[in-house]
Amino acid sequence: MKVTLDWLRDFVDLPTDDPEDIALALESLGLEVENIEPIHYRFSNVVVGKVIEVKPHPNADKVRLTKVDVGSEVLEIVCGAWNFEEGAIVPVAVPGAVLQGDFAITQREIRGVTSHGMICSEQELELGEDADGIMVLDGDYPDAAGRVGQSFESLLPVDDVVFDIDLTPNRPDAMSVYGVARELAAYYDVPLREPDFPLDASNDEAGTSVSILDDEASPRFVGREVDDITVGPSPHWMRARLEAAGVRPINNVVDASNYAMIEFGHPTHAFDRDRLGDTIVVRRASEGETVTTLDGADRKLEPGDIVVADAERPVAIAGVMGGLNTEVNEDTQRALIEAAYWDPPSILLTGRRLDLRSEASARFERGMDPEACRHAADRVAELLGKYGGAKVGGVVDEYPAPPPPVVIELTMSEIERVLGIAIDSGSAASYLVRLGFEVEGSDPLIVTVPTRRPDVTRPADLIEEIARLHGYEKIPGRLRSGTGGGLPFAERRLRKLRSVMVGAGYHEVFLFSFIGKPDLDRLGLPDADPARTGIRVMNPLRDEEGVMRTTMLPGLLGAAALNQSRQIDDVQLFEIGKVFLPGPDKLPDQPDRLGFVAAGTRTAGWGRTGSGYDVYDATGLWETIAESMHLPEPGVQPVQRAPFHPGRAAAVTIGDEMIGIVGEIDPAVARAAGLEGRVIAGEIDVAPLQVDRGPWKYQEPSLYPPQVFDLAFQLSDEVGAGTVLDAIKTAAGDLLERLEVFDVYTGSTLDEGRKSIAVKLTLRAPDRTLSDEEAAPLRRSIVEAVISATGGALRGEL
Amino acid sequence: MDPTSNLPERMSLQDDLAALRSDAQARIAEAGDLEALAALETEVVGKRSPIAAGRAGLRDLPDDERRALGQAINEVATEVEALIASRRAELGRAEHAVALASDAVDVTLPGRAPNRGSVNIIQQVMDEVVDIFVAMGYAVATGPEAETEYYNFTALNFPPAHPTRLVMDTLYLEYGEEPEEILLRTHTSPMQARYMEEHEPPVYLVVPGRVYRSDPLDPTHSPVFHQIEGLAVDTDITFGDLKGVLEHFAHEFLGADAETKFIPHFFPFTEPSAEMHVRHDEQWLELLGCGMVHPAVLEAAGYDSDQLTGFAFGMGADRLAMVRHGITDMRDLFDPDVRILEQYR
Repeated sequence: MKVTLDWLRDFVDLPTDDPEDIALALESLGLEVENIEPIHYRFSNVVVGKVIEVKPHPNADKVRLTKVDVGSEVLEIVCGAWNFEEGAIVPVAVPGAVLQGDFAITQREIRGVTSHGMICSEQELELGEDADGIMVLDGDYPDAAGRVGQSFESLLPVDDVVFDIDLTPNRPDAMSVYGVARELAAYYDVPLREPDFPLDASNDEAGTSVSILDDEASPRFVGREVDDITVGPSPHWMRARLEAAGVRPINNVVDASNYAMIEFGHPTHAFDRDRLGDTIVVRRASEGETVTTLDGADRKLEPGDIVVADAERPVAIAGVMGGLNTEVNEDTQRALIEAAYWDPPSILLTGRRLDLRSEASARFERGMDPEACRHAADRVAELLGKYGGAKVGGVVDEYPAPPPPVVIELTMSEIERVLGIAIDSGSAASYLVRLGFEVEGSDPLIVTVPTRRPDVTRPADLIEEIARLHGYEKIPGRLRSGTGGGLPFAERRLRKLRSVMVGAGYHEVFLFSFIGKPDLDRLGLPDADPARTGIRVMNPLRDEEGVMRTTMLPGLLGAAALNQSRQIDDVQLFEIGKVFLPGPDKLPDQPDRLGFVAAGTRTAGWGRTGSGYDVYDATGLWETIAESMHLPEPGVQPVQRAPFHPGRAAAVTIGDEMIGIVGEIDPAVARAAGLEGRVIAGEIDVAPLQVDRGPWKYQEPSLYPPQVFDLAFQLSDEVGAGTVLDAIKTAAGDLLERLEVFDVYTGSTLDEGRKSIAVKLTLRAPDRTLSDEEAAPLRRSIVEAVISATGGALRGEL
Repeated sequence: MDPTSNLPERMSLQDDLAALRSDAQARIAEAGDLEALAALETEVVGKRSPIAAGRAGLRDLPDDERRALGQAINEVATEVEALIASRRAELGRAEHAVALASDAVDVTLPGRAPNRGSVNIIQQVMDEVVDIFVAMGYAVATGPEAETEYYNFTALNFPPAHPTRLVMDTLYLEYGEEPEEILLRTHTSPMQARYMEEHEPPVYLVVPGRVYRSDPLDPTHSPVFHQIEGLAVDTDITFGDLKGVLEHFAHEFLGADAETKFIPHFFPFTEPSAEMHVRHDEQWLELLGCGMVHPAVLEAAGYDSDQLTGFAFGMGADRLAMVRHGITDMRDLFDPDVRILEQYR
């Protein structure tokens, strides 16, 4: 919300003129100033002049010849505008002035007559959009006649500034110049000038009758009649203030309503009484009713909507938008100014449903002050009287449901309990009174809340009022400790997992949790895949973000592709985050997953050849994770599941439980994701890695010499190395210290469909030297176990 | 044989030894490599050397001569052997130096570092903030990102059909049954209610996590961002405690000279409410929102608001990272460009 300092000064005399100081005061009140925008009126050689003679130009029809008194002299000026006569007070740019667009004013000849300056329009002075005629000051600025010869800027606010205030939604009372002035008056402890509008006919009864059928929808409705309006432009100063407040001036009727709203907060609406008729019914809409709003749209109403209706049909959607049929226009002469209280939730819901939001509805949905209705209508009437030539007529004020007073008891001990400092009851009472609360008693204070403060309902709310006037900075800080708890085991495991991934060369990325349906299509997932059942976002920002991710892979593949598109060749990324899947509970299942991807050529350093990533890097990463996190019985099994390469992917397991898949991405999927070359990826459930299995146990290394020997087996291609290794582990038992595969061979020396796997075993006993005699039978039983598990044969001698 | 007849001969043997010594000394010094030195050693003190011959001749001499001459031979032999050992060490050092020199490389070529990754800066900041509070005796919990409207709003004293419920533009999910809507949590605050429902007071808790709003991605907004929530509820928590704890946090996170100020603000779930601003790089920046837990929030969780008070706070991890590391565009935080990620190491 924007308010100008000049306007604030209408209501309060501040002890400082420094905008920075005032902004700090507003900030400490909780009205944070986002921006201070200076308004500089700087006109050099533009003066206030009085037109003393107007006569035709001897050589031209479209311009006139004037004599203008500018104090020190009388200038002859040629002028093309016709909206003034002798006696008009006008701004005059005398030779030496430089106007908008570096337009230098000099003496110059216009059709044979020397013109000694220029009488200016608003547009030429950059004060407004009006370029149709020159600015006639005496109407808009009553003291202009007394300033002939003085600089033009002496008429305008001196060094004004606009405060752009970021108002919190709990403070409808501060959504006005007056509301901000009240806060500043309380802060500086200076008086606030109460507004007063003595209106002729102020209490005459209106010709319009109002009946309120739902006093929850509208506990108060005020209508003020104004007659004989002449619709036209508003005075310049009013338009300038409106523009500074961010409101576009329209005409004196609309402007008066907006001006009063910016000034005092309460929105009003003007009906053309000749089109409205004399009967107003305030009620909820009936099913199927419609109204054409003043933007020309036909609006379908619902029973919750509040409407202003004539005897038969709605003429306005209350608090949201007026109706086209009763709108004030150029021909309007008689108007009814409506100022009412509308039920905030109803306004909010109607406004949201119809997607209609305005300065007025923003105020009503926060809750206006029912006590301010009369005042608001009268202010508009007064402005129309002064600047629209209108005659103020009677008033109708239906107030069937005044709000019950909100009275709160506040003890001094409660203040201390919350703030941690003692505040004496005199000071507490004084802070509240300055803000317009009525206070009786001392401890407890019996506090009556003003009707403009719907946000204050409990002692805590009063304590905030006291604290912000007292000053948050005066409350001393105290460092106190909690009662412990620390990082849960599961969180510590996540940190460990991250450090393992980082050590393996992977960068952690934070990607969005949304995917688009095409992302799932691109993965080539079968229809039955659980990852297909994504939970949709009801109101996504973009279609690409329409579904909650069911897998980490689309985001990671996209991230890798983005790097490749930027010519970054070595990419290793991981992310730990939630996927979202339908489940049996009220909330979706939201398990944490580890996802990773690697693509390109691994950086090897100069002089060494970099290599690409393949499935063994993926399974190796899993082995690293399993070892580093001391997982029991980690394993891998072949698996065929999109989007992975059917022959180069492994299910990773803990015991019998499959907890994820790692491997190469199907090249077609990788290409569709925009990736070149072999791409490895994986997705692993995190929860099984977070199970607390107790601390790992130390194993003392044996210092006795080992038995080290190699074995090579000839096997069918179908047999996995895992079968060989498992058989060896089982047969060798506790004596097996190390087991490495050091060669896998297929080739001409072997039969078609056969392969050779060579392993190196290290057997070592904890308590003795393993003798050849002890090792030989063990070696034999290992070989037999492998042969029986695989159907293969030992290569070479036993 | 008259032993005395050998005297001149003996004298000459002594002279021979002296000549042998000086000759050996000169030749040892001249030996140019280990090989030459080894040959010389064999020649001078080896099995066929004059020294060995002299020793062999000793057995034919009378005792006293044998002793004297033996001693003289040993002296020379020991001295020559010491000279050889010293020369050998010298030559060894020289040969090693030559070998090292020929093995030298250009050490200014780039080193070979292992491929190393990084923890994301947002995670680093969350971990760091969490650790600061853990050190102050806080527990850590996390919660669901898809959340019920009740925990996200109602339990936190957001009035129904009021702009406060709508200021945080919410993403809703097509999930579950009416009337309870499922949404993407707009803040980490739902864990305040969830935790209090599950735990007896006192509560000292921080909650790091991911939150969502329907804000399009731009330099200062993101539909996905990250918060750290804090909650302390005890029998005697005051606004002064709130200030003290958060000032301490600011000093830990941004440096002991970080200047802070608290200004009034509004959150439905705290009263009084505040924002903490911090002076950083000559500028006041809004760092976090906080306040005393609204009594209605305590009551909704089944706590006695007459006996207990508390404070709560919430801060944006993304924003903290940006402030501290000079990242000016929020979009960069979610850009997986390796050149950005490498900086997070």
